[in-house]
Amino acid sequence: MAPHSPGTDQIDTLLWIGFVAAVILVIAVNAALLYAVRRFRSERGATPRQLSSGRGLQFRVGALLTGFATLLFILAVVLTDNARETPTTGEAGLASAKSEPLTIKATGQQWLWRYDYPNGAFSYYKLVVPADTAVQLELLSTDVVHTWNVDELAPKADAVPGKTHKVVFSADEPGVFEGNSATLSGQAYASMRTEVEAVSPDKYEEFVETQKSEIEEAQDRVVGLIENGEVP
Amino acid sequence: MSPSPRPELVADGYNSSSRPRWAQLATTADHKEIGQILICAALGFLFIAGIELVLMRLQLLTPENTFLSPVGFNRMLSLYGATSVFLFAIPFALGFFYYVAPLQIGARGTALPRLGQTGLALYVAGATVLYAGFLFTPSEAGVNPLAPLSEVAFLSNNGVDAWATGTGLATLGFVFLAINLVATLRVMRAPGMAWRRVPVFAWAATVSSWLLIVIGPVLLAALTMLMIDRNYDGIFFADGSGGAPLLWQHLSWIFFTGTYMLLLIFAFGAIAEIVSTFSRKPLFNRPVTMASLAAIAVIGTLAWMQNMLTAPMGIGWKYYAMAMSLALVVPFGLVIFNLISTLVGGTLRMRAPVLFALGAISAISIGLAAELCHSLVAAAWHLKNTTDATAATHFALIGAAVLAGFAALYYWFPKMTGRTMGESLGRISFWTIMTGLLLGFVPLFFAGDKEGQVVDAYKYFDNGALTTYNVIASIGVLILFLGVLLTILNAIFSRANGPAAGHDPWAGDTLEWFTLSPPEPHNFDVLPDVRSARPLRDIREAIGHRTRRSEQAAARESQPVA
Repeated sequence: MAPHSPGTDQIDTLLWIGFVAAVILVIAVNAALLYAVRRFRSERGATPRQLSSGRGLQFRVGALLTGFATLLFILAVVLTDNARETPTTGEAGLASAKSEPLTIKATGQQWLWRYDYPNGAFSYYKLVVPADTAVQLELLSTDVVHTWNVDELAPKADAVPGKTHKVVFSADEPGVFEGNSATLSGQAYASMRTEVEAVSPDKYEEFVETQKSEIEEAQDRVVGLIENGEVP
Repeated sequence: MSPSPRPELVADGYNSSSRPRWAQLATTADHKEIGQILICAALGFLFIAGIELVLMRLQLLTPENTFLSPVGFNRMLSLYGATSVFLFAIPFALGFFYYVAPLQIGARGTALPRLGQTGLALYVAGATVLYAGFLFTPSEAGVNPLAPLSEVAFLSNNGVDAWATGTGLATLGFVFLAINLVATLRVMRAPGMAWRRVPVFAWAATVSSWLLIVIGPVLLAALTMLMIDRNYDGIFFADGSGGAPLLWQHLSWIFFTGTYMLLLIFAFGAIAEIVSTFSRKPLFNRPVTMASLAAIAVIGTLAWMQNMLTAPMGIGWKYYAMAMSLALVVPFGLVIFNLISTLVGGTLRMRAPVLFALGAISAISIGLAAELCHSLVAAAWHLKNTTDATAATHFALIGAAVLAGFAALYYWFPKMTGRTMGESLGRISFWTIMTGLLLGFVPLFFAGDKEGQVVDAYKYFDNGALTTYNVIASIGVLILFLGVLLTILNAIFSRANGPAAGHDPWAGDTLEWFTLSPPEPHNFDVLPDVRSARPLRDIREAIGHRTRRSEQAAARESQPVA
């Protein structure tokens, strides 16, 4: 994963901390295991040595493990809190999102994501956002549980019917970021993908305007067809 | 066989030997028969689960493969989940608990034999319903059928109903077996066997049984609610109108997290017995180990929300789940530390049971360490529901249920059958399983973490590295399956043809080695007074003393009188 948002930077750091902690534990256990097994080979035939199982030793090991877990807990809370922070919109970002993040509604449905922009435009599959701008996604679901997952930009988050789940991110540079939904949602779950395109604020404004006018045009045409009786 | 004296006649639950074998098996309430039936059935379902996993891995061999249809894959996935958890892992662990624990505490039977018999019947009924459902329309809702996908609006065929009925019947059966174990271990311990002298495996049986009695009904409640939703217009897990989809996640994860802990407690209990017997040393710091096992049951189950770190819940709940998960480092660490300390300085005999036990510790350490990363909230936001999670769960649970389960099988097989399982086939099987486990699941760590491959998906899209990881994983799982098959075949052949083992082939210290192999229906003719945690060692030492004394006396008497 290459992080492209302040939040995912923090996630990436925590992943490294977790990875190092896990490697330390695995190496410690397996090295101790190999050491214990190797020793018996050199002492084959000897009578077993009875180690005293002193309380002090257990206490020291317990304290060491407690310290290890506490340290991890503190680091994880700090980094998680940082990752949850709403990023600030930069100089190159969308001017209207300087004070409040740009809020876009993302609705999961079997097996597609729909994005509703503030101006009433909407798009399916592909989300277009301005780069260097704080974006807040409001995740909703119309049917089953889906997980919105574009891991370079934002934390995974579940869209659960009946609940709104907010995710914030800010794409640091223009680019295209892809992701699969991450909760089994039925037959076409594996194809339930999405794409986030970060563009310059001007291009974003242009996109939502075009999208809006095209949608209105299409709707007018459908309404016209119905009024003319061409569509029952 | 010559009639043996029976100082205490307990008629309930024993079979008349004049009946045909099938009738005996169908009506038995003897804990040894029931334990063996559970173990045999579990091994059969392990074989089936293996086939299901191999089929899914074949589908994932190449990107956008069409070997299985999307629906076929989801059905295979749902069946694999139910088979491996409800029909293999839990009954395998319970089978050993049910067979061994009463023998270890010197009981002549169980406290509530007919309740245990009903438990077995319910398990068989559950397995039958699940696989009868397989012949028609299996569930497509996945390993844990999250509502609302499992609701009738989205999966309207009766697959989920069969899943819920099957797992529900089996779970009720496990709760019955657990109640009997708790009662037996409470009231039927041999004279002198205080809790502090109870063998660790029997202690693990008590802790696991209590755990099942707590978590089993939680799942049963959730299943009942799901069935009401599906069949009687209920709204427990529907959104809006007062229902809550997250409620299903809470209830089901309490059960599945508890089950995860149960399997690890079983594994550590079995490993503790094996490591201590084969290194001829008492378990290093028994009291701390026993307390840690109990702590794992409590803290581990309280960490259920560790599975819901991406759900729309308050951040405080997520920190709470992380605190509980990280707190588990202490009891798990102490147990593993004490197991390894037991080995240090011992005269270890490297037989098949030890090999499997050590492999289990190694695999479990990888699984738990990976699970640690999944507990760090923000890290879980990246790792959750990727194949990294699949790998973490499989390392821990294959380590606990397959490797430690096989260690228990090799260890107690001589007690059950009077014959030893093939040693060299066991070694080959062990190294095959370890190779398969590492090849099959280490690549999934990378596929999940680096490439973001998601779980439960029937296909993935081409990207050079992802294909390589999946090809290696598929080959690994195939090797793993072959290794598992070798031990199953070993057990089948050794049952009739293995070398005769004698009553105490490993020089064990606990009471199950005091009786015959296989034991008589009433387990023990006479029982020693238990004066320590190692009653058989006390007996061997007493016999040694007496023999030496009588030999010395005989030597003195044979001296010519001057």
